[in-house]
Amino acid sequence: MNAASAIPTVDLSRNRADEAGPVRIAVKGLNFYYGSFHGLKDVDIDFHDRQVTALIGPSGCGKSTLLRCFNRIYSLYPEQRAEGEILLDGRNILDPSIDLNELRSRIGMVFQKPTPFPMSIYDNVAFGLRLYEKLPKAELDVRVEESLRKAALWDEVKDKLRQAGTGLSGGQQQRLCIARTVAQRPEVILFDEPTSALDPISTGRIEELIEQLRDEFTIVIVTHNMQQAARISQFTAFMYLGQLIEFGPTNRMFMNPTERRTQDYITGRFG
Amino acid sequence: MDASNTIAATAQRRPGRLRRGRRVADRILRVGCTGATLVGALVLGSILLMLIIQGVRGFTPTMFTSPTPGPGSEGGGIANAILGSLVLTGIGIVVATPVGVMAGTFLAEYGRGSKLAALIRFLNDILLSAPSILIGLFVYTLMVRPMGTYSGWAGGVALAIIAVPVIVRTTEDMLRLVPGTLREAGAALGAPPSKVIMSVTWRAASAGIVTGIILALARIAGETAPLLFTALNNNSWFSADLMGGVANLPVMIYQFALSPYPNWQGLAWAGALLITATILALSIIARLVIKPQISR
Amino acid sequence: MTALTDTIALGRTREATARKGPSRNLDTLFRASAYGAALLVLLVLAGILGSILYGGWPAFREFGFGFLTSSAWNVGTEQYGALVAVMGTVASAFLALLIGVPVSLGIAVFLTQLCPGWARKPVAMTIELLAAVPSIIYGMWGLFVFAPLFARFVQIPVSNLVEGMPIVGTLFYARVPSGVGVLTAGIILAIMIVPFIASIARDMLDQIPTVLRESAYGIGCTTWEVVRHVLVPQAAVSIIGAIMLGLGRALGETMAVTFVVGNANRLSASIFDPSSTIASRIANEFNEADGLQLNALMALGCILFVITFVVLIIARLLTRRVQAA
Repeated sequence: MNAASAIPTVDLSRNRADEAGPVRIAVKGLNFYYGSFHGLKDVDIDFHDRQVTALIGPSGCGKSTLLRCFNRIYSLYPEQRAEGEILLDGRNILDPSIDLNELRSRIGMVFQKPTPFPMSIYDNVAFGLRLYEKLPKAELDVRVEESLRKAALWDEVKDKLRQAGTGLSGGQQQRLCIARTVAQRPEVILFDEPTSALDPISTGRIEELIEQLRDEFTIVIVTHNMQQAARISQFTAFMYLGQLIEFGPTNRMFMNPTERRTQDYITGRFG
Repeated sequence: MDASNTIAATAQRRPGRLRRGRRVADRILRVGCTGATLVGALVLGSILLMLIIQGVRGFTPTMFTSPTPGPGSEGGGIANAILGSLVLTGIGIVVATPVGVMAGTFLAEYGRGSKLAALIRFLNDILLSAPSILIGLFVYTLMVRPMGTYSGWAGGVALAIIAVPVIVRTTEDMLRLVPGTLREAGAALGAPPSKVIMSVTWRAASAGIVTGIILALARIAGETAPLLFTALNNNSWFSADLMGGVANLPVMIYQFALSPYPNWQGLAWAGALLITATILALSIIARLVIKPQISR
Repeated sequence: MTALTDTIALGRTREATARKGPSRNLDTLFRASAYGAALLVLLVLAGILGSILYGGWPAFREFGFGFLTSSAWNVGTEQYGALVAVMGTVASAFLALLIGVPVSLGIAVFLTQLCPGWARKPVAMTIELLAAVPSIIYGMWGLFVFAPLFARFVQIPVSNLVEGMPIVGTLFYARVPSGVGVLTAGIILAIMIVPFIASIARDMLDQIPTVLRESAYGIGCTTWEVVRHVLVPQAAVSIIGAIMLGLGRALGETMAVTFVVGNANRLSASIFDPSSTIASRIANEFNEADGLQLNALMALGCILFVITFVVLIIARLLTRRVQAA
């Protein structure tokens, strides 16, 4: 099977938010605390199915914190806690009875720095798959190839799948991490400033990739780069000091923001 | 786990995803690791408990005033062993400190990038974990044999050889933490390197260097093996003459603990409590001294 | 760093040409004594090897290669061989690793992954204090506290159970269940090396970037999977170095082993039986030995030197390479 043909060309007309699909993640009255520090204050926001939503704002505004709530990765640190509701397909994922490992396999995350695991390229991609699915070898091979193709990395690594993932360049490593995430077939992919450690060319490739992944996944991306937000997202949320200031279709947010602070930030008056 | 079932149900394409084996493996890891730590704490607790119970029982009023008694006799104390241990560790640390600090200074200040320094650094790290009994054999050949008698000097030198690598290592590590700008500032005033080192670098790293010396002290205070063939032991009062066997706590504990006489065994326990308490106190002090150095 | 040394060197030459006086002599003296002190470290190591080679030479000459393969140790007939002591040393150190390594790694994982924040410092301190307890105290604890319990609750029941069985009946049978023996020595050594291995392994696990750990949890790994597939492989080289360091200590440990190994010159297949290690035999016999026995003990020291130094060199190479990277 040729996985590459499965990826349709990007339909730019779909870049308009008014055709937004149903709500995938609904955040209601979310508060977040780092010990006694109040990191997120009463955040309400909806994320639409198969759209890219960008979270922007000055550093320390809570955009990464919000992102880290969706897969509850913050719960690795006992002093951090979230209150309120985050409904994924109608079910509150902040509920203590939620199985975290399961949740995280459904909501993938790509980090600021590439994080290849200390194993071969093949195993990096197959690792997450093996956790949840028992696949025969042949099928596993297919899934690994498919994921690497989706991450636009297949052609570069197909001859060295058994080599260590740490031997790749930074941009390749980041795409390997995307392949690893995609392989699990999650419903949502979270990107936490995925290009901040990369050169412009690698950044461009990752942006193209995110554009393509939108056909299959609901995507939330944290970025400090406003051009990037404008280029790749359908929705943009502007955050400041732990609060959600404004949220709406990206075009409108950049062309015609209603809030003064949003306008100031976008035009570079602070941040 | 009904919660995970509900999630699995919403994600129809992968039913029953978190396999039972994974859950069990994770549980085993958590229990195993916690258990391992508990065992470690338990062993330390058990050792301390043993020392306190037996040591307090072995305490006698004359412990700090009388020398060790003869075999099978009653009374007596361990005053000579305490004094001897103080003298031997004293010699050890007095000899080791200048050598260790200077060698550490060489490695950190003069030897950067030099092959010889790299070799010495490497060998020092090895000496750090070398079996102490081999050091005993070395000093025996070097001093006891030519002099024809066990001696306090030999014991002190053996302890010094054990202490030196500890001091070298910490001195070098601590000097390396001193920012280069400080040295440059000193050199810019026209001070020669020795002056810069003595009055700027050493001073900046002083807490760390002292920590190294305390750690070395804690290390040699309980060393037994190298003293067996060097200072040995002596049941009489300590004399100013270091040419001859010198009583010391570790060898006394070794000999008395394995003896058939209850009086000796009691004294061995008392000595063991004394020496362990001292060493643990030194270790804790060393950690307290090093703290401000790191946070600085 | 080179630039810095250059700056200092520059300062020195300028000082030397511009002003001549006592400070220049002092400078030379200081430098020379630092150099000398560092050389002394080299000299001591050479001295250790030289002295035991010199002392052990007559024994090697007398028995030749047979010294290594003979299990004799007879003061009366002056027949000496290293086999029992070498086997005892290797067996007890191996058992120590077998028991100590999982426990050390468990402690390191507990401290870095599982332990609640407030408990981390006191627990780490407790484990580190275990490393400060003198060897002789471990020996007393082993002989007076551990051995009786071990004899009663392990040696006797196990011996009764396995008696007459093939293989296990030999390996785990205690002829005299006194609690001392090779396995007891291995267990005490394990306790002694645990704090060393655990604290190095903890440092190495701590150095792994948080984001790697988070991304492993981020794809739905359990703690076990994060540790097994990501953290431990990432720190593998230095953890192996730490284990070798522990092995080096276990091989050369003297006093604790002398208390609990039983000090018998017997080649037994049972790990419950008393035996000797190189270090324990030297500690036991050296003071009463003279003539060929003394040489034989020194020769044992040579063997110990070679074994431990090879292990320690490997250990330092492994831990060093990671620090440099």
